[in-house]
Amino acid sequence: MLSLLKRYRRPLLVGVLLLYPLVAFLLSGRKGRDPNPIDRAVIAVTSPVQQVLTASIEGTVSAVRHYLDLRGVRQENDTLRLENLQLRASVQALGESRTENERLRKLLGYAEAAAGPEIPARVVGVNPVAKLLSVRISAGEKEGVFRGMSVVTPDGIVGQVIRATGSYSDVALVTDTQSRVAVRVQRSRARGTASGAGSGPLKLENMLRTEDVDNGDLIITSGTDGIYPPGLVVGRVTHLEKKEHGMFQGGDIVPAVDTSKLEEVLVVGSPYSAMAQGSAAEGASK
Amino acid sequence: MKFLVTVGIALALLTLESVVVKQAGLVLGRIDVTVVLVAFLALRATLLEGAFSAFAVGYLLDLMSGQPTGLFTFLAVFTFLVGRLVATFVDVRGGLSFALFAMGADVGHGLLATFFTWLTVKDGGTGPVLAGLPVQVALTGAAALALFPLLRRFEAAQDRPAGLLR
Repeated sequence: MLSLLKRYRRPLLVGVLLLYPLVAFLLSGRKGRDPNPIDRAVIAVTSPVQQVLTASIEGTVSAVRHYLDLRGVRQENDTLRLENLQLRASVQALGESRTENERLRKLLGYAEAAAGPEIPARVVGVNPVAKLLSVRISAGEKEGVFRGMSVVTPDGIVGQVIRATGSYSDVALVTDTQSRVAVRVQRSRARGTASGAGSGPLKLENMLRTEDVDNGDLIITSGTDGIYPPGLVVGRVTHLEKKEHGMFQGGDIVPAVDTSKLEEVLVVGSPYSAMAQGSAAEGASK
Repeated sequence: MKFLVTVGIALALLTLESVVVKQAGLVLGRIDVTVVLVAFLALRATLLEGAFSAFAVGYLLDLMSGQPTGLFTFLAVFTFLVGRLVATFVDVRGGLSFALFAMGADVGHGLLATFFTWLTVKDGGTGPVLAGLPVQVALTGAAALALFPLLRRFEAAQDRPAGLLR
C-alpha cells in the first residue's frame, strides 16, 4: 500500500490540487467563504501596494489635469461664485424646512431614526475578475466596517461590503449581475427592485403594472431589504416598458453613481446590524 | 520558474492589473494575467512545480475576486494540466506563438468560468460576460506578447547552472 502511494505520489498530489478547490467550490457555491488567516495576510500585504500604486497613478493624472484646467479657472471661478450664492440661499431655506420638519415630527411623536456611522474610504483597486464587479476600499474592521454594510457617495449608492479584513474591505457594486436592491419611486412611492446587469443601466423589476412610474423619475432605496438604508438615491428611470399584459412593468435605471470612476466613498449603516444580518449580506448579492 | 518567484510575479501582476482596471474603467473586458502565467508554467515547469504554482496563482486570483469560492484555483490547475497536454502537440517558442497559446488557454478558462458561475447562480447574467470575452482574450494575448520576454528572463535567471565561482 505504502509502495503504491510512493509510486503514484505525483499524480495523487496533482489530483488533490485539482479536486480540493473543485469540491470546495461545489460545496460553497456562490457564497464564498470568510477570510482565513492566510487570506488576511495576503490581503494585508497586497492592499498597501495597491493603495500606493493607485495614489501615484491618480496623482500623475490629477497633476496633468490641474495644469490643463488652469486655463479656464477664472471663468469657472466666476460661475462657482454665483453657484455658491445660490446654494447658500438654498441652504438657508432648507434650514428653515428642517426646523419645521423637526417641530412637526415632535408634534406627531415620531421616533428619531438612529443614523449609523459614516466611515470615509478610498477605492484602492478593482477586482481583476469579471465574474463579480467589486472594488477594494481602504477601510476595514479596524475602522468599524463589517460585511453587509452599505457603501455610498454623496450622489447615491455604490454597493455593499461583501468581505472585511483588518484595514481593507471588498465592495460588490450595484451594477453587478448578482446585485438586487429594494427601491421605490421618490415621487409616487411605488415599490420595485433594481437589479444589476453587469454594465450600463440597472434593470427595474417587480414593479406592478398599475404603479405610477414614468421616464425621468428618481429612484431611491426603500430600505425594505434590510440592507440599504431608506432614501438613498439609486438613479433615474429610462426606457420604461408599460406592457399591456402581465403583472409587472420594466425599464432601465441609469445609476446616479458612475461606478467605473469611483475615488472616495462612505461606508454607512450600523456595524452591529450588519454583523447580525450575515445572511442578509448574501441576499444583496443573490 | 521557482514557486515563490511565480507567486511574487502573480501578486505583482494582479495588483498592477487591479489598478489599471480602475483607471481604464474596463468593466467586463479584463486582462487575464494569471492565465498568461499559467500558460507559461504549462510550457516550462515540471508537473509538480507547475501544479503547485498554478494552485497558488489561482488562489491569489480567487482572493482578489472578493468572493473566494475555489473556482479560480481549480481552473488554474485545470488550465495548467490541459496546457501541458496541448503543449505536447504544438511547438511554442516565440512570443507570437506564446500569445496564441495563452489566448487559447484564456478562451477555455473564460468559458469554463462562465459555465461554473452559471451553474451556481443560474439566474442569467452570463450574456455580458460572454460578450466581453473576445475583448478579454485579445487583451490577454497582447499581455502575453508583452510578458513573454520578461517571463523568459526570470526563468533564465533561475536556471543558471552553478559554476565554481557561484
